[in-house]
Amino acid sequence: MTGKRIITLVLIIAVLALLAALPAVVSRDSIINMAVLVLLYVALASSWNILGGYTGQTNLGHAAFFGLGGLTTRLLWLSAGWSLFPSLLAGAGAATTLALIIGTPAFKLKGVYFAIGTLALGQVLNVTVGDMFPMITSLPVQQLVSYQLLPRYYLFVGLAVLTVGTAYVLVNSRLGLGMMAVREEEEAAESLGVSAFRHKLLALVVSAFLAGLTGGAFAFYHVGYYPQFLFSPVWTFDALMMAYIGGTGTIIGPIIGALFFVVAKELLALRLVEIHLTVFGTLFILVVLFLPGGFVQAWASIRRALVRQLGARGVRLASRRQAS
Amino acid sequence: MLTVEEIDAGYKDLQALWGISLAVNEGEIVALVGPNGAGKTTTLRVISGLLKPSAGCVLLRGRSLAKEPAHRIVELGISQVPEGGRIFTGLTVLENLELGAFGSNARKVKDQSLQWVFGIFSRLEERQRQRAGTLSGGERQMLAIGRALMSKPGLLLLDEPSFGLAPLLVEQIFQMITEINRQGVTILLVEQNVRAALELTQRAYVIENGRIVGQGSGEALLSFESVRSAYLGSS
Repeated sequence: MTGKRIITLVLIIAVLALLAALPAVVSRDSIINMAVLVLLYVALASSWNILGGYTGQTNLGHAAFFGLGGLTTRLLWLSAGWSLFPSLLAGAGAATTLALIIGTPAFKLKGVYFAIGTLALGQVLNVTVGDMFPMITSLPVQQLVSYQLLPRYYLFVGLAVLTVGTAYVLVNSRLGLGMMAVREEEEAAESLGVSAFRHKLLALVVSAFLAGLTGGAFAFYHVGYYPQFLFSPVWTFDALMMAYIGGTGTIIGPIIGALFFVVAKELLALRLVEIHLTVFGTLFILVVLFLPGGFVQAWASIRRALVRQLGARGVRLASRRQAS
Repeated sequence: MLTVEEIDAGYKDLQALWGISLAVNEGEIVALVGPNGAGKTTTLRVISGLLKPSAGCVLLRGRSLAKEPAHRIVELGISQVPEGGRIFTGLTVLENLELGAFGSNARKVKDQSLQWVFGIFSRLEERQRQRAGTLSGGERQMLAIGRALMSKPGLLLLDEPSFGLAPLLVEQIFQMITEINRQGVTILLVEQNVRAALELTQRAYVIENGRIVGQGSGEALLSFESVRSAYLGSS
């Protein structure tokens, strides 16, 4: 157990060192931009996973929190002239406020009805924002002139670390245990004194806060886009697919999913243009049908099979030695 | 200790309980027996606060539970083992037990409770790191009971602890229930396995179509003609 822990710790330090040193090693902006995309999706998928994976509430309106964070941050930062970090916090705060407002009515809905309800919520915001902010937002000239990629890259490194770290601390706490109990058997959890509503709301609020922060970071990173773009259901479904493909209800799952998703999408888009959508759709269905635990589950099965194989060979060798 | 007075309860338009009254005294094992769909589980759900009655009241040591949500009722000392155990299969045995001590009072004495539960169910101690989904049927039932004990309940509600178990295991589980009772936990037991339940208990209530139709000592009910013919297959 402790040996495993040391390996994990070494791996984490290695990944962090790699992330810190990446801009020094590769000078091409395209690679850094791709890394930003991976980090963005790590944060988005991990934040979705807190409610969707660990608490078992399939949120199909995640883009609403991402979008609201982005919209708020962009408005405060560019139009109101706030500095960056207060704007980011305000964006996350706006997303959290939305979560607190919709939490009580949304959790009256259970199972698939919760999914449908949140899908509707996401779409309502998507359409509303599309109607209210019809014009493209772009960085002002002085911002464009001074645009630097590296601070943005490191912001995303920090964001991904914060999101994954928060998820880790939360799910290993007593609250996390309660969340998982609600996911597994809601009524049994209630009968043990775990308030399902409170745990769901907590998961939603933390999930929304982190998604709002991620949206704000995107607003700081991207040069020009339609405000409505951040509310597109694509953000929800990308996050959900990454979590599922990697493995929901695990810390590493969304990270693997995001990395796989971005790299595979890049490779497919280079060669096959739009066909990656079909590929991911098919892959998602296959994972849900045959590998509900995602890549994490696949790896666990492979490792078990290997151990069994090696164990069997060890026994055979031993018995042969005894025989001879 | 527990008094249920004139409870009416149901689901949406369907009334399942009609004026149910029963009482459990400190230290007793009391059984609630009856056929499928008679309202046994519904009665337990009302006591544990998972279902609010439309009329009547539940009193614990004279105190009304009408306004208490389910998680408060656990803290007040009533713990339920739901039908089929309903353990958290994706979590480890230890995590399941920790969830049993979720309330703030129970959490303070968690380690002590854990030793107590492991003392009764040594099998659970051996398997504490295993995922609960890998346990056998009997072990799952032990885990469900152990989990309920982690909240240090004064009153334990058991819903069909023999459900789906082989006869030999049923005997084992019932012995453990007797042992738990001997250690000071009052027990209200719901069973379809009427003979086993009535042999175990001091008193029993017979429920049919949402109404209490008979009560008495376990032995007396065993010789009760209607009970014999209805639930024990005659003779």
